[in-house]
Amino acid sequence: MKKLLVLSSLLFAGAALAATPADTYVIQSAGDIPTLDPESAYDTASSGIIANLYETLVSYPGASLTKLEPRLATKWSITNNGKTYTFDLRKNVKFHNGDTFTCADAEYTFRRNLVINGGESGQWFLSEGLLGTPSNGKDDKSVTWAKISNAVKCNAAGQLVFTLPKVDPAFLAKLAFPGQAIVSKEYTTKLNDWSGTEKDWQSWAGKEMQGSDLSKKPNGTGPYRMVRQDANTMLFTAFDGYWGKKPSIKNVIRQKVPELAARQQALLRGDADRIEGASRTVDEAQIKGKPGITWVDDLPNTSAPAIFMNWNIKGKDYIGSGKLDGKGIPANFFTDVNVRRAFSYAFNYDQFAQDVYKGKATQRTMALPDSFPGYNAKVKKYEFDPKKAAEAFKKAWGGDVWKNGFVLNAAYRANTPTSQIALEILKKNVEAINPKFKINIQPKQWSDLLKERNAGELPMLFIGWAPDYADPDNFINTFYGSSGFYASGSAIKDAQIDAWNEQARTSVNATIRNNLYTKIGNRAYDQALYILMPAPVAWIFYSDRLSGEGLTKATYNPMTDLEWSGLTKK
Amino acid sequence: MLNFVIRRLAQIPLVMLVLSLIVIGLTQLLTPEQRAAPYIRSEQQATRMEAIINQYGLRDPFPQQYARWASSTLKGDLGFSRASGKDVNETIKERLPATVELTLVTAIPILLFGIWMGTLAALHKDRFLDQLIRVFVTIGYSVPTFVLGIVLLAVFYAYLGWAPGPGRLETMNEFLVGDYDLGGAKRITGMLSLDAALHGEWKITFDVLRHMMLPALTLITVLSASIVLVMRNNMLEVLNSDYVRTARAKGLAERIVNRKHARRNALLPIVTQGGLLVIGLLGGSIITETIFAYPGIGQWFVQSAQQLDLAGVMGFTLLSALLVVVMSTVVDILYGLVDPRVRFD
Repeated sequence: MKKLLVLSSLLFAGAALAATPADTYVIQSAGDIPTLDPESAYDTASSGIIANLYETLVSYPGASLTKLEPRLATKWSITNNGKTYTFDLRKNVKFHNGDTFTCADAEYTFRRNLVINGGESGQWFLSEGLLGTPSNGKDDKSVTWAKISNAVKCNAAGQLVFTLPKVDPAFLAKLAFPGQAIVSKEYTTKLNDWSGTEKDWQSWAGKEMQGSDLSKKPNGTGPYRMVRQDANTMLFTAFDGYWGKKPSIKNVIRQKVPELAARQQALLRGDADRIEGASRTVDEAQIKGKPGITWVDDLPNTSAPAIFMNWNIKGKDYIGSGKLDGKGIPANFFTDVNVRRAFSYAFNYDQFAQDVYKGKATQRTMALPDSFPGYNAKVKKYEFDPKKAAEAFKKAWGGDVWKNGFVLNAAYRANTPTSQIALEILKKNVEAINPKFKINIQPKQWSDLLKERNAGELPMLFIGWAPDYADPDNFINTFYGSSGFYASGSAIKDAQIDAWNEQARTSVNATIRNNLYTKIGNRAYDQALYILMPAPVAWIFYSDRLSGEGLTKATYNPMTDLEWSGLTKK
Repeated sequence: MLNFVIRRLAQIPLVMLVLSLIVIGLTQLLTPEQRAAPYIRSEQQATRMEAIINQYGLRDPFPQQYARWASSTLKGDLGFSRASGKDVNETIKERLPATVELTLVTAIPILLFGIWMGTLAALHKDRFLDQLIRVFVTIGYSVPTFVLGIVLLAVFYAYLGWAPGPGRLETMNEFLVGDYDLGGAKRITGMLSLDAALHGEWKITFDVLRHMMLPALTLITVLSASIVLVMRNNMLEVLNSDYVRTARAKGLAERIVNRKHARRNALLPIVTQGGLLVIGLLGGSIITETIFAYPGIGQWFVQSAQQLDLAGVMGFTLLSALLVVVMSTVVDILYGLVDPRVRFD
């Protein structure tokens, strides 16, 4: 018994208050890091680490979303009417393994991204810009080695040259995506990766790279290098050979702690400096105002939530009788602008913001984040107005909607309270306008919803787009273009918008593009193309021992991952 | 005995074949889109669904999909687990020792504690001590592991600060484990406390053991309840048997009757119970590992199941099957050794 007591006291000794040292930054998150291979990184968790181990050619300075600054490039020029980009590359840069960064590494990186372009990766938009197709050589036979090798190559002066098939005003912004971080050619090819030559490029097309050897043993030029990774822990340390400013925090530890309560306690006790939180409601209740915590609110959010209304509903299960007889809706129900306006007026925007985000949300004028270039706050927006909604319903379909009523079936993704609440608010308000109006809402599994949306079967759907790169085209074309991402699901087609959108997509003049986007915004309001949901403002919280770039309102950038090298800890 | 063991081990390939057919067959109940959905993490990737289906051959006929999995498995390649971000072989190699370590730390206390408490309860039948032990058993049975784990964390870590938080090591000790070279970790057995001891790093050994306190306490509370109950009932049955009465009639001391005659025979069913317990623990204590961020097999299985990670689920299934067959063989052998009436024929 005595021995047991001695052992117990030994075990308990030192357990109390083991706050982390000032030279170590501790992050706790709920999930895993899917990959550390830039080619296959297309999620925030992976990007958050990759951005500190690797570097891209260009990046955003501070909180800016409109400027790009050189990183591994030192300068660049755009010629050939916006179709040729020539980059001067930084000298005296070392990879973590000691290799010297040269143009061959950059060339290999981009070619590798175009060659592999796996299904789960974000390389499709680089491929779109450089090859004119989002697909890899396995799925699209128009992708050839000649095309890939001509799209990106080093010239005799050691500059990296991109040659685009047509103007892509978003191209520079695409290069700031962490998935375009530069890898070492020599190191990667030695890991039995793609050789960098024509001989084996086809066998690498579409390959699954999340578990690549490079992911296991990352090697970048970034300010931190990986020391070790095991099941739940990743360790990083400042890279002595880094070309830039030496980080003030020497070590970084990323721990996976799936249980929220445990993460919260770790932060409050000083065992973690930053944690993955939960919803605003939970974080405010459990963390905000607690000793040792810094809370930063009202930060820009770059997602664009909306409800789309399908102009050509192909899902027979969703339209009931298929007629305006009070038992269903015709497949082209939403082609009448009055129906769309009525729904837009029937949505209670303030109530949604209050119910879901405790009022911390703003209704935008366009399907574009308000921090993005091209956004115009002066564009009109819809407000909740049941009278105007009723008037619009009375005009719709020559009065048949008002006279006969309708039954509309709407789906939302199961276990997503935000979309469920949005549809419930819409249902309640629309049904209150006329007792003949009926909306049935039903949860659907993610896979079914994706399949049905892509097939254009759903009448309406709550959607939310998060950007790949900080260019308005990533939103405007996605939402409003008839060839954009949501077009397959919503069948939206507006010739005027398409013409403006195409003009904006082929111009590199920011002023011209912004004017065009304002026109698109006004037209989208007039035509009530989407019910634009209030978008939540972002918030962050962390240990008050931590400070630095990216943690204040003035330096927070929603498009970039937090760079550990800009942090200090007391 | 040798024939018995060989026969048992020969069952392993058959068990694995049947299990793999069942598990992979079950996945065929889902459409290719449903199986591709977990790979799609954002709106953007929705357009890539077909590319993902093609990439993984999800539309291929079942025999083709099964043959693909079987041929790589027979070559020793269990595939890549998306849930762990590593090869299945590597994941098992990394996580199984952690689970074994937790099993070693918990299984013996659970058995000893359960046997002791069960014996006490039987010897004090219907008296205060028995009632008290039955209350403990009821708590162990009825309080969900999840709740108990959270409560222990809240009390001993968050409020009192007596125990360390989730994970396996103190933050600063993380840097003492393994070299400062990529992949150059100084691991021998993978069991951190043992490896550290072998390197003479006692500080690490104690840190690992401290971090195992709360998970172990959770498991001991929950799992010893069944041992207590089985032991108590067996003990009561044996205490009422003829040979115990005979022993008492011969004038043997009560202590000797209880220990030598009653408890030894009451322990027989505990061999089976203990075997099942170890199988369960080696299969990963899913909830406990999740709450305490313990990097074991159970935590990986949960993630694999949630993400429809077929390679991960299959890897775990085969490992579990192997453990069950091996452990049940060991239990049967042990049973034969402690009970001469059992014959291996």
